[in-house]
Amino acid sequence: MANFNIDSKKARTYDAIVVGSGISGGWSAKELTEKGMKTLLLERGRDVQHIKDYPTTNMMPWEFEHRGRLPKEITDANPIASRCYAFGESSAHFFAKDNEHPYVQNKPFDWLRGYQVGGKSLLWARQTQRWSKYDFEGPARDKFAVEWPIGYDDIAPWYSHVEKFAGITGNKDGLDSLPDGEFLPPHELNCVEKYFKEQVSKTYKDRHFIIGRAAHITEPKQVHLDQGRAKCQNRTLCERGCPFGGYFSSNSSTIPWALKTGNLTLRPHSVVHSVIYDDKKGKASGVRVIDANTKEVMEFYADIIFINAAALNSNLILLNSTSSRFPDGLGNDSGVLGKYVAFHNYRATVSGEYEGFLDSNDDGRRPNGGYIPRFRNVYKQDTDFLRGYAAGFGAGRIEFNDESGLGESLKAGLHKTLYGNWSVGSHMMGETIPKESNFVALDKTQKDAWGIPLLNISVDYDDNDEKMIKDYMEQVSEMFVQAGFKNVKSNDNHRNPGNDIHEMGGARMGKDPKTSVLNKWNQVHACKNVFVTDGACMTSTSTQNPSLTYMALSARAVDHAVKEMKAKNL
Amino acid sequence: MERRVALKSMALAMGALANLPAWASGWSKSSLAKISFLSADQSRNLTAIVETIIPKTDTPGAGELGVGEFVQKMVKDCYDTNTQTNLSGGISNLDEQSIQRFGKSFADAGKEQRLTLLQEAEKSTDASQKAFFGLVKNLTIQGYMSSEYVMTNITHYELVPARYHGCVPLKKG
Repeated sequence: MANFNIDSKKARTYDAIVVGSGISGGWSAKELTEKGMKTLLLERGRDVQHIKDYPTTNMMPWEFEHRGRLPKEITDANPIASRCYAFGESSAHFFAKDNEHPYVQNKPFDWLRGYQVGGKSLLWARQTQRWSKYDFEGPARDKFAVEWPIGYDDIAPWYSHVEKFAGITGNKDGLDSLPDGEFLPPHELNCVEKYFKEQVSKTYKDRHFIIGRAAHITEPKQVHLDQGRAKCQNRTLCERGCPFGGYFSSNSSTIPWALKTGNLTLRPHSVVHSVIYDDKKGKASGVRVIDANTKEVMEFYADIIFINAAALNSNLILLNSTSSRFPDGLGNDSGVLGKYVAFHNYRATVSGEYEGFLDSNDDGRRPNGGYIPRFRNVYKQDTDFLRGYAAGFGAGRIEFNDESGLGESLKAGLHKTLYGNWSVGSHMMGETIPKESNFVALDKTQKDAWGIPLLNISVDYDDNDEKMIKDYMEQVSEMFVQAGFKNVKSNDNHRNPGNDIHEMGGARMGKDPKTSVLNKWNQVHACKNVFVTDGACMTSTSTQNPSLTYMALSARAVDHAVKEMKAKNL
Repeated sequence: MERRVALKSMALAMGALANLPAWASGWSKSSLAKISFLSADQSRNLTAIVETIIPKTDTPGAGELGVGEFVQKMVKDCYDTNTQTNLSGGISNLDEQSIQRFGKSFADAGKEQRLTLLQEAEKSTDASQKAFFGLVKNLTIQGYMSSEYVMTNITHYELVPARYHGCVPLKKG
């Protein structure tokens, strides 16, 4: 039973509620508050304030007791989080702990979560590529999932809108498969990467290699200075939180901006149980919250509700939002809620060495890498699998020490840096096909510490993914050999789905309410004042790192929501 | 490391709240000493082992830089009990050999004597002996290379490079 003694209903009523303060929730909150909406931002985890709450940010390597490695007690207790590349002694405090937040793996799935203000925006890898028209057209052309209700032209101005504010470094490459954006100066490619770029262009008409586009301020504009952010200092210690605000996070950018409007109320330690549906009004009236610490149940009310809890948690909240109107979850008239979950296939890598440029090195550090945009099936279907993959590519000089022997000879060896060849490496980023059989559902019996049903996850690779892995290994190995790289090896690491941290879908957008949960404005078809603009809304996955698209969709949906509210349509 | 202690006592003597620079508040030999799982004798021998692996020359050796304590802390916190047993067994084993051959504990043996014993351990075909030697040598190198002294004075770690240049002529090390 909710406790209504402490404060009146009026004091718990806002114009808008945003659930979740990660990349998409931060954007929803910023846009709503800028438009004058009194907004409540709910976050299940603790508060993390920019700089103040980055305990490891300025630590030197020798100040970490275990030099970056985590004690066995922690890795044993967190086998899932431990498989994440970014989980270490400097960043573990920004990861949800496995044993505190259980879920049910019907099939192996690494669910990586950041439960604090800022969510995973503190931890992300900061790659920000736009989708192209070919990505949005994918499902319709190749007849899988359902047709996207929007195309590139609908979202392009919103990409520009969020890029300018977030600060995106990139090079205008003029590729139709990877549209250019509003870029700050690009990072430099190094010697071997520049060479590889020439080789790729020379050998393949339809393949390209470019510097990645990333959420780093390479040259601050006034809007970044106004946010209190400065130029990226190339520390590449981003997962600790950046004291310069050099990369984009909710903590450094959107949340402080929203707070400055005076319209934001941020409430950490607020676990959202469900959306409250008002049968009489025929719309949602608010959300039910369980205080993470006291377990007290509360209700908050608003005209507009944005669900940005991260893809699978947004599904969980909607599935858990049952009423006589929606017995199977809010907006689930179609029965597709929780289904057609997809992700990115990051299973394969290719590595090698290059024996040139031996009198050169790079200097400093770069929080970005090289990128090979998708080249398979872009304009038409021409392989035995659907869609394709993008690939990361980077080169670095091999530096090592002679560690042979003991005593003074060993010490002399350790004091002298030796240089080997350049190592080159690539990883795949494959599009997976959303399927009904890849789904999440509420567990029928087990609940978490807050009385919320555990999430059952049934998500797996399929034959299309296996074919794509094989093709990536063959094609990128060939590109390496063509460029004269030696010792070329490919590897399938068989990582679990979810380890890519790009889970998407479950509450997909679509034109037809019978086969989708959300419309082209990210509104729940059957409950127009509830919006979902995080990974849950994704109809298909494409190959690009998805966060930039969530930012753009959030800003676009808020713009629509506020217009509709003012037109009295909500 | 002693400088840290000096700084702290100086600050305290001045009656000020110790407002030390960041590098002075990291781990130090005194804070590491609290984590021993080895006996006092074994700890002393371990320090002698890491000092033999990377000795003092015109720059400090691994012993002086607290690498023995680092090795012990890593094995205690980051490895399983088998590895911990193997570490303490390996240290005791070396110590026994030293007593048999030179009539004194490993830590009290001469530099050349200690080096001889470790070189033999390195060549050993016994699996647990091999594992012991590999573990201690690798952790010693890691602890030494990531020590404040080495990263500050030898390898010149930059927390804030503030640059990236793709191609520069190689600086010969």
